[in-house]
Amino acid sequence: MSSPPLASPAPARRALSGPALIGLVAAVIVAVALPVFTSGYVVYIANLLLVFVVLCLGLHIVIGETGQFSMAHAAFYGIGIYASALANRAVDLPYPVAMLFGALVAGAVGLFIGALALRMRDIYLALATFAFGEAMQWVFANWDSVTNGPNGLRISPARFGPIEILSDKQAYPFVLFFCLVIIGLTVAISRSRLGRSFRAVRESEVAAMAMGIDVRRARIVSFGLSAAIAGFAGGMFGLFQTFIHPDSLGFQTTILVLTMVVVGGLGSIAGAIGGAIVFGLISEVLRQAPQYQEIIYGAILILFMMYAPRGLFAFIGDRIREARHGR
Amino acid sequence: MADLLEIDGISASYGRIQALSEVSLKVPEGAIVALLGSNGAGKSTTLNTVSRLVPVTKGRIRFAGEEIQSWASHKVVSAGVLQVPEGREVFRDMSVRENLDMGAYRRSDAAGIKRDLDRVFEYFPKLQERLQQKAGTLSGGEQQMLLIGRALMAGPRLLLLDEPSLGLSPVLVQQIFAIIERLNKDGLTILLVEQNAAIALGCSTYAYILENGEMALEGASAQLRQDDSVRRTYLGG
Repeated sequence: MSSPPLASPAPARRALSGPALIGLVAAVIVAVALPVFTSGYVVYIANLLLVFVVLCLGLHIVIGETGQFSMAHAAFYGIGIYASALANRAVDLPYPVAMLFGALVAGAVGLFIGALALRMRDIYLALATFAFGEAMQWVFANWDSVTNGPNGLRISPARFGPIEILSDKQAYPFVLFFCLVIIGLTVAISRSRLGRSFRAVRESEVAAMAMGIDVRRARIVSFGLSAAIAGFAGGMFGLFQTFIHPDSLGFQTTILVLTMVVVGGLGSIAGAIGGAIVFGLISEVLRQAPQYQEIIYGAILILFMMYAPRGLFAFIGDRIREARHGR
Repeated sequence: MADLLEIDGISASYGRIQALSEVSLKVPEGAIVALLGSNGAGKSTTLNTVSRLVPVTKGRIRFAGEEIQSWASHKVVSAGVLQVPEGREVFRDMSVRENLDMGAYRRSDAAGIKRDLDRVFEYFPKLQERLQQKAGTLSGGEQQMLLIGRALMAGPRLLLLDEPSLGLSPVLVQQIFAIIERLNKDGLTILLVEQNAAIALGCSTYAYILENGEMALEGASAQLRQDDSVRRTYLGG
């Protein structure tokens, strides 16, 4: 019926067990110790990767869990960046309030788009959300009185009571904390009744309806949650960035996040996190050779589709299992 | 006995194509009623109007005394009307256990869910053996068992069975129908859609025959089995 044609998703229940959990703990230890040992540039990259982790978790909710194509993730991210930056500038409240405002605005737009897209499936849904993403980028670039249009918008420093955040190292603990909160939230959603209804919709809308799941509601809510998390990522961006330009909120960003989720392993939370970090690092390295960047992204995506359609981590897991069984 | 389900003159259409016109039928509490007819006669559409997957353009549907023709599908499930869709609509990437859990999606009575799970294992011991296996890797017969088991997990009062014999070997069809009769003996009311008229008339007490979206014939199953036109058209002799 309307199963995602990209790859068969991994079961979500196994998402955070055994080796994945050990890996996660190790990663958290490294993450916490990071700013002590490294330079400002490395911490900046770490901040950026953590934002991508949150973006990927948002996309995971709608594509990985619910099996619905959303090609407008950069737009929701952008709404979150602008909304939280403008809220932060307008009122003198602790920055998390501005972040929540950004997530709420993005989430509300996501609910609206989800409701509009109810009748669409697969490629039509992908195209419609793509069109919305393009339209939003146009809004960012042309709504001068609010977004400052093509000149981009200065983001004033985030404030937590008396603390004002002026450097990447200062921002890092907050970015890490918010990222962990969203990881916890995503795991909780996935294990909840709501998460079960998402996966039921992904696997068979007919069967989901026969089991008494309100499929329309599940689809709309998954769009809303996905967009709210992307908007929250936008607020995290404002913690350490001082400037946003509409050029960075286009289709390339959506494709980048989609690639991360697919490369990590569609349908798995650990895959979404790992994909964001691994592919985020790759894309940072590729910055040295920008003229080849797009080609290499494309090649990586094609190779994964061909040889590891269930994602990097499932691929490594399979190889380890094969080695153990002496094949 | 009182009628648990009463369909009263319903019509339904897909776009401009009229699929059902003024169809009426009754399912008394505790009975197995069969709905027969050839491919495309409107049997599945009739079930889909009851489970509210297809809207009715005319007529009434009453379940346990309440008019349900304008309800949302999930509300109908909560009321105890469970459809077993045709075509092996299991959650393929979920385990057998997760599929059964999905059946209890609208329930929160842990003790009742546990009791119904044990009941499902009594009817289908095979499912208990394959609890951790992915549903997509089960055989056709096992998938059909899982579909019925999953519906039982919702605690149904009325089961809408859509072509349970489809694509199964004669031996498996016998097994599935033995279980359907056992479920009925244990108190479950069943509306059964089948193309296999012989076996459906064998296990039901009353039957309706649809032709081109209209009710062509109805009667006690034992009588229809003797009816010449029914024998010629649906029983192959």
